[in-house]
Amino acid sequence: MRLVHIQQQRQLHGRRALAVLPVHYPKELLTAFNVLAVEMWGPPGPPRGEDAGRLQPYVCAVARNALAFLASGGADAVDGVLFPHTCDSLQGLATLVPDFGGWTRAAFVFQHARDAGRPSARAFALAELRSLARGLEAWTGRTLTDERLLWALRLHEEIDACRAALLDGRKNSSLGDRELYRLLRRGEWLWPEAHLAELRAARAAMAAEPVQRGLPVLVTGYVPEPPALLDALERAGLTIAADDYAAIGRRVVRWRGAGDPWPWLAQRMLSHPPCPTQSADQGARMRWLQELAQRSGARGVIVHVQKFCEPELFDVPAIRRALPLPSLVLEGELEAELPAQAVTRIEAFAEMLRAGARAA
Amino acid sequence: MTLRRIEYELAGCAGPWLLRLQEWQKARARAHRPRKPGPFGPPLECTRKLKELMSLHYLQGRYADGAVPVAWVTSGFPVELLRPLGFHTLYPENHAAMCGVQRLTTGLSEAIEREGWSRDLCSYARTDLGCVATGRTPAGRLPRPDLLACCTNICQTVLFWYRALAAHFGVPLVVIDTPFVYGELKPHQLQYVRDQLEEAVAVAEKVAGRKLERGELAEVTRLSKEGARLWGDCLAMGKSRPAPWTGFDGFFHMAPIVALRGSEECNAYYRTLLDELRERARRGIGGIRDEKHRLLWDNLPIWFAVRELSTLLAERGFNFACTSYTNAWAEAGANVDPADPIGSAARAYTHIILNQDLRNRLSILQRLARDYACDGAVLHSDRSCKPYSIGQVDLRERLAHELGIHVLLLEADHNDPRAWSAEAAETRLSAFMESFA
Repeated sequence: MRLVHIQQQRQLHGRRALAVLPVHYPKELLTAFNVLAVEMWGPPGPPRGEDAGRLQPYVCAVARNALAFLASGGADAVDGVLFPHTCDSLQGLATLVPDFGGWTRAAFVFQHARDAGRPSARAFALAELRSLARGLEAWTGRTLTDERLLWALRLHEEIDACRAALLDGRKNSSLGDRELYRLLRRGEWLWPEAHLAELRAARAAMAAEPVQRGLPVLVTGYVPEPPALLDALERAGLTIAADDYAAIGRRVVRWRGAGDPWPWLAQRMLSHPPCPTQSADQGARMRWLQELAQRSGARGVIVHVQKFCEPELFDVPAIRRALPLPSLVLEGELEAELPAQAVTRIEAFAEMLRAGARAA
Repeated sequence: MTLRRIEYELAGCAGPWLLRLQEWQKARARAHRPRKPGPFGPPLECTRKLKELMSLHYLQGRYADGAVPVAWVTSGFPVELLRPLGFHTLYPENHAAMCGVQRLTTGLSEAIEREGWSRDLCSYARTDLGCVATGRTPAGRLPRPDLLACCTNICQTVLFWYRALAAHFGVPLVVIDTPFVYGELKPHQLQYVRDQLEEAVAVAEKVAGRKLERGELAEVTRLSKEGARLWGDCLAMGKSRPAPWTGFDGFFHMAPIVALRGSEECNAYYRTLLDELRERARRGIGGIRDEKHRLLWDNLPIWFAVRELSTLLAERGFNFACTSYTNAWAEAGANVDPADPIGSAARAYTHIILNQDLRNRLSILQRLARDYACDGAVLHSDRSCKPYSIGQVDLRERLAHELGIHVLLLEADHNDPRAWSAEAAETRLSAFMESFA
């Protein structure tokens, strides 16, 4: 489906496609340059080809699978790759692949400003965005105007507003978790205007009254893979009432900008919900999670992390301390299927929550 | 405050005498034990001085909080900014290595794993967080920090680790985020580091309660530069044949350039060490008795197994003439400039080996292998250090093909013995050494 979309976008609109590694990146800028972003969260499942062996088994599956995918020609439908500076592993991948083999087409890097509250970080975010824009200008042969960037910013603000409405209004959505996440994750590769149309339709279909569902839980972690996890939660009688996945909730910017498009874009990059990959203050992140839990009425917390993912793993003890709710830590390796052990643990967790709910 | 200050100063004055007394008692006890002839050359005289210097640093540290401002600092942080403000600096990585050598990591790590910390996190971080949680330390006591200072030039891990420390201690955290250098550093990236250094100074001044005197900063920068040069000169003695010390000796003797960089004690120590190494080289005294092959070591040491590894290799005439890890401390510090302490620190601390692309890394390894006439290399694939380890599979191939040397990728962890199989490592190293025949 992605391949067809990439080809259509190229044929019908002359759009180049750029594979993008997780997590945060200035998608608005790519849209403004008429470039289709196609995100690569792995892909899940066993790595394709032998090149995964160029990374040691203690490197996360996201990096290993991406290396194998790129080197085996899996991403040949796109014209270039963007490596956001998310962690040590992706930083390493950004030099390993272009320098030592695996990708010969265009490669871009986007470095984040850490500790976003500082004047230096704000200035750097702006300068880094302009630097990336210069690279994209040279690559696409297009000149970026302020009007075009403003258009892209407004488009992505509306997308975020819809995504926020769908996530915040879970109680009133007729979509199950599987359908909702399928819809949200289509934004990882659809042209943004097409994605917005789908989001608007889903938002319009939200019910006025709450829809009956399972016990509400808060989920935090990296990426909701494999999707069978969502089925397992539903079968166990749980529903995701609050989302803090890096791939989903942590990328919804609720801040609204105006005026000069460049500072607006820079501020958007610094206005995600607190995310460890952007070195957010741990206290701020815990307060954000507490607020999410309270607002959603979550009865439990599921921490769904990828093995070896340091940004996420470092926060796990703090999350367990900060949220006075039963918690379940699930560690995955970007499997294509949900391991049976995980299903059992989810079922046991759900039983525990139900017992707690009955006692209350 | 005054009492603490007196205790702190007393520890600094009386400490050396106490430590010498302790060392004398140990030496007396050792004198009665027969010394087994081993594969190593005579031990470095300086080792005793090194122990004294570092023990004194940690002894004074016990009394530092409440007496002087205390900063916990990552090894790659531009410490030149903190010294003129009177900070007592503690390096959790250095302390963790000390715990690693004494095989304390497993217990400390298990203590925090029970609280939900993952075993897959960096073992330095787990060791340090374990010390914080339990209060257990071979140093007796660690001073509580007033400031946390971290620089991402060695890894992003320190950012997450220090965030956790900041949440625990409730003290300010200054971050120097160094953009990773792909090819050339861009002007706006250099400016970013420069700006952060100025911001860090403002925070540190507030914590220390005094202004940074730029003349003092220039002097500390001069000392730091000189220290790096002296350390580089010590390392360069490994080019002699036989090398007057081993790369593994270097791992221990690098402690002052990490923990006391920018101080006269550090430089005085390296002057003495350099004199001794020169004398050994002049007299043909090697780090090992019968040096047949010279190796390059890449990545951190395996702290808990340094002795057994070096013995295994030395028994068959293999010596590590150089290591990329110890070399990093000579290269970074040499580029600071007392005439422009902030600007030069921004450039120097951004351009360290771990913050540059793999092409640069390969060229450093090739240069070291050539300069030190190495005929083999061991790349420590370190489970706990991803930035150092990613790319090693390709580096192994390129070093072997482009230099025609023997290269081994050795899986381990720098601090956690649970990720180490002594038997498997011995088998691999034995096969590696046989390949030289």
